[in-house]
Amino acid sequence: MNTNIDNVHDDHHHTPTGIMRWITTTNHKDIGTLYLWFSLLMFFIGGFMALIIRAELFEPGLQLVIPGFFNQMTTMHALIMIFGAVMPAFVGLANWQVPLMIGAPDMALPRLNNWSFWILPFAFTMMLSTLFFESGGPAAGWTLYPPLSLQGGDSMPFVILSIHMLGISSILGAINIIATILNMRAPGMTLMKLPMFIWTWLITAFLLIAAMPVLAGAITMLLTDRFFGTSFFTASGGGDPVMFQHIFWFFGHPEVYILILPAFGIVSTILPTFSRKKLFGYDSMVYATVSIALLSFIVWAHHMFTVGMPLAGEIFFMLTTMLIAVPTGVKVFNWVATMWQGSMTFETPMLFSIAFIILFTIGGFSGLMLAMTPADFQYHDTYFVVAHFHYVLVPGAVFAIIAAVYYWLPKWTGKMYDEGLGKLHFWLTTIFVNLTFFPQHFVGLAGMPRRIPDYPVQFADFNAISSIGAFGFGLSQLLFLYILYKTLKQNKTVEDKAWDGAEGLEWTLSSPPPYHSFETPPKIN
Amino acid sequence: MNKYRKTYFLLTCAVVFMFFFSYMLVPLYDIFCEVTGLNGKTNISKAIVLNETPKNRFVKIQFTSNVAESAPFQFQPFKKEMIVEVGKIYNTSYLLTNKSTDIKHVTASPSVVPSQNAEYFKKIECFCFTEQKILGLTTESLPLQFIIDNKLPLETNTLILSYTLFNTTNQAGLK
Amino acid sequence: MRKIVTLFAAIFPSITFAAWEVNMPRGVTPTSEIAYDIHMLMFWITVIIGILVFGVMIYSIIYHRKSVGYIPANFHESTKVEIIWTIIPFLILIGCAIPATKALIMMEDTSDASVTLKVTGYQWMWEYEYLEDGVNFFSKIDNESNKARRLNSGINVNKVDNYLRNVDNIVVLPTNTKVRILLTASDVIHAWWVPELGGKKDAIPGYINEMWLNIKKPGTYRGQCAELCGKDHAFMPIVVKAVPKIEFKKWVSIQKNNRVAKNK
Repeated sequence: MNTNIDNVHDDHHHTPTGIMRWITTTNHKDIGTLYLWFSLLMFFIGGFMALIIRAELFEPGLQLVIPGFFNQMTTMHALIMIFGAVMPAFVGLANWQVPLMIGAPDMALPRLNNWSFWILPFAFTMMLSTLFFESGGPAAGWTLYPPLSLQGGDSMPFVILSIHMLGISSILGAINIIATILNMRAPGMTLMKLPMFIWTWLITAFLLIAAMPVLAGAITMLLTDRFFGTSFFTASGGGDPVMFQHIFWFFGHPEVYILILPAFGIVSTILPTFSRKKLFGYDSMVYATVSIALLSFIVWAHHMFTVGMPLAGEIFFMLTTMLIAVPTGVKVFNWVATMWQGSMTFETPMLFSIAFIILFTIGGFSGLMLAMTPADFQYHDTYFVVAHFHYVLVPGAVFAIIAAVYYWLPKWTGKMYDEGLGKLHFWLTTIFVNLTFFPQHFVGLAGMPRRIPDYPVQFADFNAISSIGAFGFGLSQLLFLYILYKTLKQNKTVEDKAWDGAEGLEWTLSSPPPYHSFETPPKIN
Repeated sequence: MNKYRKTYFLLTCAVVFMFFFSYMLVPLYDIFCEVTGLNGKTNISKAIVLNETPKNRFVKIQFTSNVAESAPFQFQPFKKEMIVEVGKIYNTSYLLTNKSTDIKHVTASPSVVPSQNAEYFKKIECFCFTEQKILGLTTESLPLQFIIDNKLPLETNTLILSYTLFNTTNQAGLK
Repeated sequence: MRKIVTLFAAIFPSITFAAWEVNMPRGVTPTSEIAYDIHMLMFWITVIIGILVFGVMIYSIIYHRKSVGYIPANFHESTKVEIIWTIIPFLILIGCAIPATKALIMMEDTSDASVTLKVTGYQWMWEYEYLEDGVNFFSKIDNESNKARRLNSGINVNKVDNYLRNVDNIVVLPTNTKVRILLTASDVIHAWWVPELGGKKDAIPGYINEMWLNIKKPGTYRGQCAELCGKDHAFMPIVVKAVPKIEFKKWVSIQKNNRVAKNK
């Protein structure tokens, strides 16, 4: 991906070329590009693991892998997708867009920005390498519950170290984003004039700083329990395995909002552009996002309804979890009101955004059902949960990321993607994503637990459909790869404002933007 | 003159403070637990001692046991069930047999259900969490003295006490 | 046409077994029934909300598009509307929370049970102990399933009886009796779950959890471990046979006699 590095400004600026450019860059656009390509690579790796899982689950009986390896696949698939694909993609989008949307020349801490990225390839190389150890990779689920995770092989300290590294990368990135947004806005851009993508990233950054250290604490305690004689999580020494779950999910719940809030911001940007109508209820959207972030800290035990919590705890967490549906619903209504009486066109980013609203909401519905503790006793640890979180993450977070790429690619590269192919990618992806995950609701309700490589025969049919859907979904993403390739090798075709309904400072710059984005702050009216 | 010297100094102080705070946490936790009475262990109430106030209310106590990780022990309650009067002190025991020929160290971890009533099952003397040493091929009787607190809610008529026995022979310094 | 049907049947082998179950079973205990009722309540509420919201979206997609010449409106905020669509969902949720809270209180009341079954999870089998009667045994996946499930076993699992849901020693419980289930584990966290009996609690090493069941209908009910516990997590099934009280008492005394005979 090229930015205008050649028509550079000052003579004293000797920018390296080739590989050193990418290793030493402190430019937010270059770093954004690195994050995005890295995330795409990790999507394919994590996706490949998903296909191994779905291939094994295609039929009852074991055909491909032994159960121990299957557990490694489910564990690594989640770790890769959450920490290697979705989060870096959002950080990449933030890197590209935050300075452009607030009228800044770059991020507040450009060298820290570079380091935040370069931690990732090392961390993931270490994590993935554990799959090749004799005792295999981590196999206790991405949630790493003890005592099971304390039983596990040589991979454990490596995985813990790599998660520490990822946490550091996220925290430093979050600090950078907050510092940039709070300090480097163009004059006249008050907080209540911030684009929604910036608002959601500002709030996400605070969530990251609050939550990631908690994960670091939890996994460090796992490490000391295993190697240094502590007993945080083992009853033999007076500890409690359930305490890990509390600490983990105190991180884990804000984490899932970290995975979705930037997506909300993206949809709030794309919808008005293609509806040719301003976002409905901007103030409300900001307050709703803040409410979601605050509430996200008091719902964590809904992941643990079956551990034997006191009744009062079960009721409390049920009520707070139900409550968080209210601001989320408000956001959905506001999006629909944005579309209502707009003048819509349905280019690829808009298609992905509309699908996001519908399919994320379906994920929200299953989430509301899961919130009801009495019913949750039947849903917990079944495929109903798997269906829920895949709906909010795949046609949720991932669709928003894809939508953002289609939307901003013309700005980043100065080239327009092939709209016909984009639409084809959309329809294939949407059809296959539903084919993959909708049947999982059924098998979960019928009694199929999670994290199993083999199942009783009554679950066979929907599993077969789900597996077919998964392969279709995976192959459709190769089309996305082709679309990117085809776009990049064109010659320049796009003007500054690539979409006629687009608003925002980034559209006042050239496509692609100058190396230092806004060298002089723009005027905001 | 570096205009950020004060900022650097304050930031360094903050980091140093955080570092020492984590060391201070050990005594701080001890003080906190003493003051609030939350000691994380299920009511070893040496203090209450011998203040029997029998209430002519009787509840059933069931005793059960587990040996963790298939360790080479036999571990059973001496009596599986007792009908006890609330407010009166009772004695019972658990029998531990070391089926192996070597000396072993064990720790027993208690658990009471219903969990919301655990606080009313007051153990005056027990072997909870204390590491025991047992010689090979020996049987020992581990004593338990308890009293059911008068304040046990009226709806509860049965309490179950369970001990899980862990083989802690190779583990570093458990007290 | 025949080719398509054959292909379909090859991909979906249980097409003849009609296993296209899409919903939770209502089950045979008060616990399972109330869980089902709350589930269905929430399901219908979300369906209605979905129809409303998606209906508005679809209408908008059809009529409010540039290609039919629609001119975009100017409005972009309304405090009144925001308040309405905050309050109404909030009220709906209160309406759901009340029955759910009542259900939860009922489900967590384990008092006055006449039979206590202690379940201990192991890697990878269950141990059962009837506390009042002193009956105690292990239960693991039955041999036929265990052979068939091996990688490339060559055995057609569709032909195995209750594949992965069959055990060597079944649990027998009396119907119409409040049974208290105690849960613990020996090594890692497991969870004991029979969908038709409702209720699920984790089995945690070093701790006891409890839940209760009152099975209203005699029958055989199958379930499996519901918390990842290592490589054979999928292979620790549970089979509960519910029989009238008299039969249960007979079964218990047979078990006791067998034990005495074994220990002689």
